[in-house]
Amino acid sequence: MATFNPPTPGDIELGPRERGRIGKAIELPVLENFGLDSQIGPTYLGLWNIAAFISGGLFTFVWLAVMASQVNWNPLAFAKYFFVLQVDPPSTFYGLGFPPLTQGGWWLICTFFLTISILCWYMHLYTRARTLGIRPYLAYGFSSAIVLYAVIYIVRPLWMGTWAESPAHGLKALLDWTNNVSVRYGNFYYNPFHMLSIFFLLGSTLILAMHAGTIWALEKYGAHEEWDEIQAPGTGTERAQLFWRWCMGFNANAYSIHLWAFWFAWLCGITGAIGIFLSMPDFVNNWFQWGVEAGINYPQPPPVIP
Amino acid sequence: MSSTKAKDPRFPDFGFTVIEGARATRVPGGRTVAEMEPEYKIRGRTTFSSLFKNDPFDFWVGPFYVGFWGFISVLGTIFGSTFYTYYTIFLGPYSIPQNFFAGRLDPPPAEVGLSLVGVGEPGFAWQMTVLFATIAFFGWFMRQIDISMKLNMGYHIAVGFGVVFSSWCTLQIIRPVVLGQWHEGFVLGVMPHLDWVSNFGYRFNNFFYNPFHAIGITGLFGSTWLLAAHGSLILSAAQYRGPEGGDIENMFFRDTIVYSVGESGIHRLGFIFACGGILSANLCILLSGWLVQDWVSFWNFWNTLPWWSGV
Repeated sequence: MATFNPPTPGDIELGPRERGRIGKAIELPVLENFGLDSQIGPTYLGLWNIAAFISGGLFTFVWLAVMASQVNWNPLAFAKYFFVLQVDPPSTFYGLGFPPLTQGGWWLICTFFLTISILCWYMHLYTRARTLGIRPYLAYGFSSAIVLYAVIYIVRPLWMGTWAESPAHGLKALLDWTNNVSVRYGNFYYNPFHMLSIFFLLGSTLILAMHAGTIWALEKYGAHEEWDEIQAPGTGTERAQLFWRWCMGFNANAYSIHLWAFWFAWLCGITGAIGIFLSMPDFVNNWFQWGVEAGINYPQPPPVIP
Repeated sequence: MSSTKAKDPRFPDFGFTVIEGARATRVPGGRTVAEMEPEYKIRGRTTFSSLFKNDPFDFWVGPFYVGFWGFISVLGTIFGSTFYTYYTIFLGPYSIPQNFFAGRLDPPPAEVGLSLVGVGEPGFAWQMTVLFATIAFFGWFMRQIDISMKLNMGYHIAVGFGVVFSSWCTLQIIRPVVLGQWHEGFVLGVMPHLDWVSNFGYRFNNFFYNPFHAIGITGLFGSTWLLAAHGSLILSAAQYRGPEGGDIENMFFRDTIVYSVGESGIHRLGFIFACGGILSANLCILLSGWLVQDWVSFWNFWNTLPWWSGV
């Protein structure tokens, strides 16, 4: 940075577009000993931010209150059973209609507020990036998670004609739904989009470890100042590139590693959403059978090879 | 280190690590590999040459650095993939393209215990493949240390690879040894290894109830989330041309979620998240069948905790 971009003191803490910011910068210098930024706040209060927090708060309130009512508002029982309490979606009997509150109505209300909250959060990320003059890629990345959420909670149940296909709101309930949808559709391990999603999930973890490890190992050359390294690569980035060139024969650069990162993480959610959506009687009822028909697996195990 | 005065947030206080003049070496647009690579191609500075004065494989082949450990790694790769390919694909029960997906190498049967099996007995190819793969992975790990030494960097990349290598060792060596039979190792093969993972989960009733599995999955999803957030943030600001440079990234995150972990912090956090998730996954595998046989009844302790016995 020092080579071509002189600092502009006085402009740093609040930055451009101060309107709507609340609070003052709080300094916790001890954080710098761990390499973390020492400044907390100020933060921006905007329409979309407030809307996201209000609707998200309503979701949390209704969810927790319904679960608390299931244990007669006993706080100890609530703590004991917190992981297994759940707010169930309507049964198939009600289809897409609105059932009595205790038979799925609360679930519809919860899901409505959760969806509104997520969409408002997308707008918050999008508009703030636009206002600050940077591109809204964080919102674009969030779109992958939104698509996965929407397919699981809204699109697939709508297509199948019943809200009962959605996961219940609850911690154990979410794990059970995941387990059951895999078993019901003949083992998700044979679902090629599940395979792709897992590939991108593990691949994202791998890329994160490779990139983060590389940059951490090169902090003494200032390689972590990535905006500056993109404009004017220094010896830190040169070493990062040479490490991977010498290790595995090719390398990214300070800009393109973040393209790899973005697409790997984005595709994890998108391929997962496709795999979930196809798992219904209209498309694929049994992924094991699909694997047999595709010729990648056989109903009878082969003889043991020495 | 920790004064109470607010510092310039552009330069987190690494006074003890950022070397003098590192920032002044930056060249607008950067140098090409052809321009800068010769400067870094020095002889020596490897593990082998530190111990024995000279590394016989201290050279490059095309873009690849070889080194003593590269030689070991290549040997392990050639032997391991030969065993795997020959036994699953050429000797497999179906046609060659079908064997690519459905071919499998099973570990030795349970009766064998921890002994080595002979040529032609069940499990021979599995043992050979695992042996040579382990040698190849260890060589690769040491080679990353060599390259880090040559480039005068930290050893973080090798540590990260060591974490995933520890997963391989936990699954194929440590857990089978703890349980006393190679039979506990996982099956090699494209589709069969998926079957093994699926069966392994249900053999201990339901792996979703394994808390270390849950922490591991949280680490994986958290890593993907951090990667998306970091990658998209850098891309979003890459073409920003304001006077604050990289600070716009911190401002964006402070504006949206109050705190920005910072340019160095995100890489430290990401590295710890990715490695921590994998280490927890190792634990969830190692405990299954050794200390815990059933992850559903594992939670019985929860309902019998004394402080809510009356509920």
